[in-house]
Amino acid sequence: MVTSAIETTSTPDQATLDALRESVANVLTEQCDSTELHAFVDGKNALDKILWAQAGQLGWLGLGIPEQFGGLGMCSQGLVILHGELGRQSAPGPYIATLSAAQTIVETGDEAMRATWLPRLASGEVSAAVPATLDVSGLTRSGAGVSGAMRCLGAADAALLLAPADDAWVVVDLDGAEVAAASMWDRTRDVFDVRLEDATPVGVLPDSAATRAALTRTLALAVAADSAGGARSITERTIAYMKTREQFGRPIAGFQALKHRAADLATKLAVADEMVRHAVQRTVTGEPDADLWASLAKSEVTEACVFITTDCVQLHGGVGFTWDFDPHIFLKRARLNEVLIMANTALRDQAAAALAAITASGRSALELGL
Amino acid sequence: MSILDAQHDLSAFRQAIRDWLAEVVPPDWKARMARASNEEYIAFQRWWMAERSKVGLAIPHWPKEYGGAGLSQRHLIAVADEMARADAPQNRLFTISLIHMPGTLLPHGTEAQKRRYLSGVANGEVWCQGFSEPNSGSDLASLRCRAVRDGDHYVINGQKIWSSNSMYADHCLLLTRTDPNAQKHRGITYFIMDMRSPGVEVRPIRQANGRAEFGELFLTDVRIPAENMIGAENDGWRVAQATLASERGVISFEGGERQRYEIEAFYRNSLKVGAAWLKDAQLHREFVSFLAEMQAARRLLRRVLEESETQGASASVLPSIVKLSSTVLRQRICSFMVRISGMDGQAFALLAEEPFGSPMFDFLSAFSGTIAGGTNEIQRNIVAERGLGMPRV
Repeated sequence: MVTSAIETTSTPDQATLDALRESVANVLTEQCDSTELHAFVDGKNALDKILWAQAGQLGWLGLGIPEQFGGLGMCSQGLVILHGELGRQSAPGPYIATLSAAQTIVETGDEAMRATWLPRLASGEVSAAVPATLDVSGLTRSGAGVSGAMRCLGAADAALLLAPADDAWVVVDLDGAEVAAASMWDRTRDVFDVRLEDATPVGVLPDSAATRAALTRTLALAVAADSAGGARSITERTIAYMKTREQFGRPIAGFQALKHRAADLATKLAVADEMVRHAVQRTVTGEPDADLWASLAKSEVTEACVFITTDCVQLHGGVGFTWDFDPHIFLKRARLNEVLIMANTALRDQAAAALAAITASGRSALELGL
Repeated sequence: MSILDAQHDLSAFRQAIRDWLAEVVPPDWKARMARASNEEYIAFQRWWMAERSKVGLAIPHWPKEYGGAGLSQRHLIAVADEMARADAPQNRLFTISLIHMPGTLLPHGTEAQKRRYLSGVANGEVWCQGFSEPNSGSDLASLRCRAVRDGDHYVINGQKIWSSNSMYADHCLLLTRTDPNAQKHRGITYFIMDMRSPGVEVRPIRQANGRAEFGELFLTDVRIPAENMIGAENDGWRVAQATLASERGVISFEGGERQRYEIEAFYRNSLKVGAAWLKDAQLHREFVSFLAEMQAARRLLRRVLEESETQGASASVLPSIVKLSSTVLRQRICSFMVRISGMDGQAFALLAEEPFGSPMFDFLSAFSGTIAGGTNEIQRNIVAERGLGMPRV
């Protein structure tokens, strides 16, 4: 297990990122293979807990958190690598919610909030939750307390919730809150419903608009990376299956009708990866168009992933439709990813508005920065 | 003045190109060319090549020993980028001369051939390609155009098709069948053919978009000196791989960059005039989706260029993946433009005078991307077989 290579600081170079990818991939392919994943889906192991504990030890949960708060300070580049690899194995656990909440606190939280929560999040001691979708009405705020019901992305035992309450964004300690885990088609993800009655937030983020934007962007990058990784993985698994499955006396991978579909999937994957990279690059250099490209990366890549995972079910034939094979796990995760944050139509509307604003100001939103 | 003097500082190099373009490119060239006759268009292309030649930008990517400047890929990206940014004319007439011919002669030509032909391009020599035949398209290796040895010459009889700008060409990169009894890939020989040789007849082919950029070649007892053979007799298929591989690269990159500026100008104008389509949320969503795909395609085109300088580039299927993604995207963008331009867009117009000024022309022209240079179906075979390891039948 390579861990020393990732304990670096500030803007990571390519070799560091490659080492990170390799070390994460090594752990996940060993511990979250198809057999373990299916057993988890069937409730026969605690793979999510095992991986989470290990992720904390290996520093994965602090990838985007500055060093002074117990993290590795590798920002978005490190995070999308982790999410991409988690997506590749359809790894269960509250990574997207926790890491995105942490990243938002890094960006727009106050010092007390950072000092209180970031070290605990980085170590894996606690996990965080966020609203499953951001375009629903949030909690309501009355005096010092917040109330209301909300469907959240994150583990049911999450310690904190980062959520909008009227015109503010608050951090709520979920200890003692009324929480009910929701049963989802995608069993690799945790979703729960929470009901709060005049709960006292442990923190109010100073800038609501910036918080919403930061959370939207970090979630968008995470979900897009997860989808791109998942789509690539299930495509590889499907093509491997097609090389072994014989009909009419030869492997079905030799049929041109299927080869062309596989080639189209490979093309979509290459485009999806570049969309994620572009959005990350604009984020890392802090461009005004970063949010625009993150929103589009999420909307485009999650839809491509739904297309790809759907086709992978079909390319498997009958077994693709069974509980015992991998495609349905990836398909269900793809469909959940598609609706997270907000509907893709709404994300595109935001992107269109941002494009119009940037263009009207006389700038270009189309620089690659390469 | 040579812009190449500034090559040691990339930003100064860019600035020199920018200054030169601002000075030399006629602001009304697009409007003029939109109404130009074929002869005027060709004259304009030759003029543009001569202008590039004056400042050392005719063949900047070639080795110095053959008259080029040996510029790095980074410099070529800068040249293409600045050309696109300034909306400067493209070297359409010289595509084969600048890309395919050196891509073939540099690795496979004799020293005499390199000396004779490489330097000619900066002086305006036009090349065409004689590969496809009426019955040999995607199955190129089945070609039948016959070459028979006769003393120190070969005698050619046959037919070639889809030969861009062959009506204006001085030389042709010609694939012929020298051994009809060998396995089809093993009986092919590659020649340089002088287009003014007796027995060469060229007939233009009118395309669906109204223009005639391709020619059909009818070759009757054409005599080619044996010294014009590229590579060995019956080894032409291997040589042809170098020609085909040379297509990946700077031209597609520049096309991607041009599309960026076109679409940006189109959008800025739409905002300015308050175009009706902007009020349709679904069209607006489609548009931003195209932009996301376009950025991805531009990044991929850059990766092909970077990869082309590395070992093992010839085994990569990335160029095929890039062709599939960028040509289909181009077609979809053009199709979108046709849809939003309504009845006005159906009015007959040839060359576009402004970005997407003639959406139907652009839409119809976009098929050249999905069909030429190896159809997208052939590209899919390449991706599946060489990239994904799916078995050949």
